[in-house]
Amino acid sequence: MPAIQVTNLVKTYRYHQKDPGLSGSLRGLFHRQTLERRAVDDVSFSVEDPGEVVGFLGPNGAGKTTTLKVLCGLLYPTAGSVSVLGHAPSRRAPEYLRQIALVMGQKNMLWWDVPTLESLLLQKDMYGLSDSSFRETLAELVEMLEVNHLLRVQVRKLSLGERMKMELLAALIHRPRILFLDEPTIGLDVVSQERVRDFLLRLNATHGTTILLTSHYMADIEALCPRVLVVDQGRIGYDGSLAALIAQAAPEKRISVTYAQPFSAERFGLDFPLTASKVNLLDDSRRVEVVVSREEVATVAERLLRLGQVVDLSVEEAPIEEIIRRIFRAGREEALA
Amino acid sequence: MIVRSLRRLVKINLIMSMEYRGDLVLFMLNNVAIPVVSLLVWLAVADSGVSLPLDRTQLVTYYLLLSIVSMFTFSWLAELLADDIRLGSLSPWLLRPAPILLSYLANNLSEKILKLVALLPMLVVVSLCFPGDFRLPLAPLNWLLFLLALPQAAALAFLIDVIIAALAFWVDDVRGLSRVRVLVATFLSGQVVPLALFPASLTGFLRLQPFRYTLSYPLEVLTGQLSPSDLRLGFALQIGYLALGWLIYRWLWRRGLRSYAAVGA
Repeated sequence: MPAIQVTNLVKTYRYHQKDPGLSGSLRGLFHRQTLERRAVDDVSFSVEDPGEVVGFLGPNGAGKTTTLKVLCGLLYPTAGSVSVLGHAPSRRAPEYLRQIALVMGQKNMLWWDVPTLESLLLQKDMYGLSDSSFRETLAELVEMLEVNHLLRVQVRKLSLGERMKMELLAALIHRPRILFLDEPTIGLDVVSQERVRDFLLRLNATHGTTILLTSHYMADIEALCPRVLVVDQGRIGYDGSLAALIAQAAPEKRISVTYAQPFSAERFGLDFPLTASKVNLLDDSRRVEVVVSREEVATVAERLLRLGQVVDLSVEEAPIEEIIRRIFRAGREEALA
Repeated sequence: MIVRSLRRLVKINLIMSMEYRGDLVLFMLNNVAIPVVSLLVWLAVADSGVSLPLDRTQLVTYYLLLSIVSMFTFSWLAELLADDIRLGSLSPWLLRPAPILLSYLANNLSEKILKLVALLPMLVVVSLCFPGDFRLPLAPLNWLLFLLALPQAAALAFLIDVIIAALAFWVDDVRGLSRVRVLVATFLSGQVVPLALFPASLTGFLRLQPFRYTLSYPLEVLTGQLSPSDLRLGFALQIGYLALGWLIYRWLWRRGLRSYAAVGA
């Protein structure tokens, strides 16, 4: 039996449309327009092996978080079936809840006004942990997260990075088999982001915890997830490895160079014979943007640098939204053909 | 496990309340002020020669005991819980293998403990201001029945709060409704005007409506105002309302959780 099995999942939100201003609110009192939005639209996937790390990648509002919330039983599915560790999450059976945990980057689970230790002791009581297993897990997690000195500090006095570590600590104290993470690195600085990622990798390696995470940071997915589900507008557009995804959807990089002097298109054309569609002249011909294949990046950049006095140079991955759009465009064209 | 969790939650709630001491003091003054002001008004009425169904001693005793009973039965829960539902803060409680309302029950209990600790001394002072007029009922049977009716009154008030809060699953603003409930309850529970002072034509309705059983009824039991048949009917109605409230709560929450949107993040 797979650890997670999702079949034709649909989740619809109902909401009210309201015009702005006081008059809009007044009209809303008497006549309200109820609308529906399909946040998740016919999604199917499964996670066969325990211990897998799977990333949901997609822009804001794609349906990643909604899917996660359905999986941990916070939301009732509108249609379709969901089974996690043999349970229907929406029934919220205690045996099920004991085996999972959810950490949300933008939502606190810890009490704001008391030290983390107090919240941890509450978790101990609620999950019925024995003294010895509590102590053992706590010692291990505290060591991994390097937070011994913070246990007795009120949560509201902690920095964002420290708080995220504490959220992870509280979520993992009962040793869940599946950990759901919703944007775990959002708002964190680069160093803190990396610490969180390292911790998750270690957790997965030492305890075989299955991890499902959502993120719109490529770096999170790159570091953690051998398998990626790309979600857009409530549908899954890609299911596979990240490397294959990038090779398939973004085989190119964008080089952008700014020069001190404008230069003519003719000269540019002479020295640099590329197809016009891939070259853009911007800012009164001071800036050049070229999209090239990954293999060509070094040679093309070198040639661009020789064209004049360079003020600025950057080489960028196509943004994640762009990649996703391409995947979905390809999907739709396939469907049409 | 649940009892241990509840104890820990009460402790956390108490710690948090201590963090906001200013709020606490204001809140307590408010709690004593209403009964004391009502009492003073009624005493002025009695002194002006109007004949009331309750004499001076009964009035003083009623209002002083009332402030203690209302400590046990009133709460700020409905709006708090409604906000948590609307803003998605209920989510952590849905993820834990414990009753969803455990934390709210703890909040409610800690509220009562705080009030008891801080208000009792104040009430002793107030009662000293009415020498000779405050008569604590002493009949053991009345106390016994009172100790049964009081927690049931508190449970009924809690259920009413939880039912009103559950409307937040569908309606954005439960505050208005909650205020209306408080206003209605203020009059129908006997908080401002003892139910005995209402016009006789209303007596039948007042005795049967549920708010009586959240405040006035335990007080009537304690002060020995009720005949044995009234006592029996009262307890039957109180238990009946509790059972009805429980059914409505279960039904509303089961449906409500289906439309819970878990807003946020």
